[in-house]
Amino acid sequence: MESSNLPTIYSITESEIDLNELLAKITLVSTGAAAIFTGMVRGVTSRGDAHETEFLEYESYIPMAEAKMKQVADEIREKWPVIEGIAIVQRIGKLYPKTPTVLIACTAAHRDTGVFEAARYGIDRLKEIVPVWKKEVGPNGEEWVEGDYIPKPGE
Amino acid sequence: MNHIKLLFFATIRDRAGTKSLEMDIPANMTIQDLKDRLSTDYPNLKDSMKSVLITINREYAFDEAVVPANAEIGMFPPVSGG
Repeated sequence: MESSNLPTIYSITESEIDLNELLAKITLVSTGAAAIFTGMVRGVTSRGDAHETEFLEYESYIPMAEAKMKQVADEIREKWPVIEGIAIVQRIGKLYPKTPTVLIACTAAHRDTGVFEAARYGIDRLKEIVPVWKKEVGPNGEEWVEGDYIPKPGE
Repeated sequence: MNHIKLLFFATIRDRAGTKSLEMDIPANMTIQDLKDRLSTDYPNLKDSMKSVLITINREYAFDEAVVPANAEIGMFPPVSGG
């Protein structure tokens, strides 16, 4: 099947992320495997700088973020042409511990096709180039979380 | 002169005290020139201009790029989504 006909979903949303709905949209009759990564707000952090989080407040440069998510999906298809469906969704707004904030799902015919690596690549790339930021609010005040990736020309 | 729109996000927006600005700039102005001008006109942004990421019309852009007419310029810190 031409990749232009394959389901690709990319969006910034303020609504709850509905895994079942997204999975249904990226499942073809030929699909036999889906690798799904989802990240959620961690209320208690023990690794590194141990601290507690009351909530995270996400914001985005939405039209650019959705264009960059499409770019991430295109990069996945270039690296793993066997991938069938791709869903990349970032939720924004005020989000509390245990709430899913992001979801990357890739589907393929079989699990040994690179589908796990494709989903991993998707979340790693999202954290590099998709313009979304979060402010962390905890018992000791609030602080913007800043990444450390500097995009290169053409990214 | 070229008319452009600036959009600020996250820490940059907090320091600028506004989400967006519109301004007129010379036709040959580069991103570096724009950062220098903002540092002068908005002292609160001076420190931010050293590490800010910049986009022109929703694509990442770098210091030597010339800002086109009617550009939408994004300014923000390294991203932290997920």
